[in-house]
Amino acid sequence: MIITGSLPARVAGIDSISPTLKRFRFEPDGPAEFPTAAPGAHVLVTLRGPERVWKNAYSLVTPPEERGHYAIIVRRVEPSRGGSHFLHDVLRSGDRVELSAPASLFPIASLARKHILIGGGIGITPFLSYLPVLKARGAVFELHQFCAISEAETFRGLLGTDDPRVHVHGTGGRPVFEPILADQPLGTHVYTCGPEGLMRAVAETAKGLGWPANAVHQESFAGAAGGRPFIVHLARSGQTILVEESQTLLEALEGAGIEAPCLCRGGACGVCLLPVLDGEPEHRDHVLSEQERAEGKIIATCLSRAKSDRLTLDY
Amino acid sequence: MIDQGIKSRPQYEPLRPDPAGKRHLLLVAEPTERPDAFLAAELDVETWIVVPRDAEGVAGIPLPGQGGPRRFRSPRQMLDCLAPRLAQERMGLRLYATGREDFLWEIDGIARRAGMGKGEIQLAHAGSHARRIFCVHCRTYNEGVTTTIVRCGGCGAHLFVRDHFSRRLSAFMGVKVDAETPGDVPPAEQAYR
Repeated sequence: MIITGSLPARVAGIDSISPTLKRFRFEPDGPAEFPTAAPGAHVLVTLRGPERVWKNAYSLVTPPEERGHYAIIVRRVEPSRGGSHFLHDVLRSGDRVELSAPASLFPIASLARKHILIGGGIGITPFLSYLPVLKARGAVFELHQFCAISEAETFRGLLGTDDPRVHVHGTGGRPVFEPILADQPLGTHVYTCGPEGLMRAVAETAKGLGWPANAVHQESFAGAAGGRPFIVHLARSGQTILVEESQTLLEALEGAGIEAPCLCRGGACGVCLLPVLDGEPEHRDHVLSEQERAEGKIIATCLSRAKSDRLTLDY
Repeated sequence: MIDQGIKSRPQYEPLRPDPAGKRHLLLVAEPTERPDAFLAAELDVETWIVVPRDAEGVAGIPLPGQGGPRRFRSPRQMLDCLAPRLAQERMGLRLYATGREDFLWEIDGIARRAGMGKGEIQLAHAGSHARRIFCVHCRTYNEGVTTTIVRCGGCGAHLFVRDHFSRRLSAFMGVKVDAETPGDVPPAEQAYR
């Protein structure tokens, strides 16, 4: 069961890991402990800026049984839609934040005999909560972190250098996954989190080596890319809202005070789907089938936008 | 009495070579069965086949595999050889089995313990529909049952043969037919061949 409602929290500490990476530690704002999380879980962090509100999903990097605090690691991205800049530049120790209960859309496959974790850049974060669990279970695993050469030391610092199963590959070119995935024993599962291109390359390499689709797992935190502004009209409440260039449809709804459904905010879970009455959606999610996309009767508000100037939703 | 309306029974389809696999292991427990689709496919297929000593004329069955199929005297011998074989295997294997239902799900169990999952295993029923019956009272397996009611070889209870198939045990469930009224045992009918 997914716990609903938010967890009041305070920023307990902010550490700089590299010029663009910071670790944020949150503690419960009150006597209660945080709920335990599943390995690979994320929380939605609500950030209240002076002009707008962001709700961004970040993987927890704390061990799953940790209830005294949660931590996330955030890269300050350029261009940012504002969330990572707000976290890096505005948020201070002691500030109040709202967290959602942790949810996991990226679980460890319990029947796998071996686990191969492939992270790209900041996509390492969900694996930081996998590691203590896999080690405690005595599981067979390998972790391969791919990053720019200049960041290899940073990620070695995060992952440690004493475990021979953990590999950091600082690479200038396009990474090659065949040497990692070829010749793995039956029952091996691969997990990827990172840029779309990296995840696609891992999936294609595995497929080419005869891996079945259910042995390949992806964490899709596709950054919402923004796009042309459009108007959304809500047929049931009669409201009309502008979705700005750097805002998602979901954020525009939330900005207007509407508690629209959502969970992953990365187009992966399908919780945010709303029916479309009029207008043409531009689908950017990973949930809808080809047929559902073509029909255009339903939209994932967390990522997708509109091709038309106006979109009418049955909400 | 044969159709007891139990929907959970496994359904089988003919074996289809999966071109996404890199290596293919085909297990044939019924020597009369010819998985024709594999002969035409240009795949790296290794075949294992059960050829009982008293079998006649099976030598002529064309089956894929370099150097011909590997022969086994019984389904049991083949099952015993499968786990060590899969322990050496790598990702990319597809496993196909054709034979009696009790054989198929023992194969499935061995493959799953070796780490294989849905998408890597295909099963197709061939041969007799005689059932392996698991006595839910004393846990004895009764092999080759063809009747609606059978006397358990372990505890002697008269078992009603349910359509309830356990994939884990690779057997149908047998429950005492006269539990409510001891001694009231209806006549057994021949139901499965």
